[in-house]
Amino acid sequence: MPLLIGLILVVVAWTVIRAIAPDRPWFAFVPVALAGAALLALFYPALATVEFWAGLIGFVAILSALLVVIHPNPMMSVLFLILNLFCVALFYLMLQAEFLAALQIIVYAGAIMVLFLFVVMLLNLKAEEGLRIGTGPQRWGALGLGLLFSGMLFWAIQNRGRLAYFAPESTGGGFGTAREVAGLLFTRHVFAFEAASILLVAAMVGAVVLAKRRLG
Amino acid sequence: MMRVEFFLLIAALVFTIGAVGVLIRRNAIVILMCIELMLNSVNLTFIAFAHERQAMVGHVFVFFVMAVAAAEAAVGLAIVIAIFRRRRSADVEDASLMRW
Repeated sequence: MPLLIGLILVVVAWTVIRAIAPDRPWFAFVPVALAGAALLALFYPALATVEFWAGLIGFVAILSALLVVIHPNPMMSVLFLILNLFCVALFYLMLQAEFLAALQIIVYAGAIMVLFLFVVMLLNLKAEEGLRIGTGPQRWGALGLGLLFSGMLFWAIQNRGRLAYFAPESTGGGFGTAREVAGLLFTRHVFAFEAASILLVAAMVGAVVLAKRRLG
Repeated sequence: MMRVEFFLLIAALVFTIGAVGVLIRRNAIVILMCIELMLNSVNLTFIAFAHERQAMVGHVFVFFVMAVAAAEAAVGLAIVIAIFRRRRSADVEDASLMRW
């Protein structure tokens, strides 16, 4: 835990130095890099713990999510969103959801994000001047609502009931594998599966109709 | 092993960042990306609870959320392209035809 907090402080200091000195003399970063190296040397046993890596991945996930929102260039937003999706896929692996971790990388980071990247390149969106975010009451109202909402979520997480309100299913050894997911998907939830296929066909036809220049 | 609350906290923070991003950004593509962020954090919550309760139903839900997200991204980006073709901008302030 001290290693994690120290490394986060190092990253924050690095960012602050970059913001203060835009011309970036290289020796300004030397004490920060030395502090990081000293932290690694002092607390290297923490590198073998799951908690350190989970905290690091969580930090990267939150940082990349913030950068998706505040980066003025949409292309960089797409790339940071891909980084965030990879972090979430690593969390899936920690939570024994191997099949969904693979699906996350293939479908989300592979297919959907390439679609976003393609549209950003097609529309040739430049970096926006001065970060076009909402002005006046909308911005401050959004920030206030965000703080309120996250406070409510934290309160709910702190005070949630820990009793399982249904008996855990007997899952055996294969929790989270493709075999188990497919076993549920093709037996109990087969109607929803077929409905999802209809939804995807409808979305495909709708996208073609919307993006076509003129019909007929 | 990690406690489930850790993953719930990360998911709550990412969801809030996505929601605030939808409210404050004006670029339609960035707004769609913020919606993807929110869907992803909900998926993480589903997986965390599935791990806590050792119930596989959460994984099936995440599967369907991914399908819906793919459909939503395709239709949303097609709408953005159609608006851009007409108005030469991807700014949601410029698409005000149905505004009251």
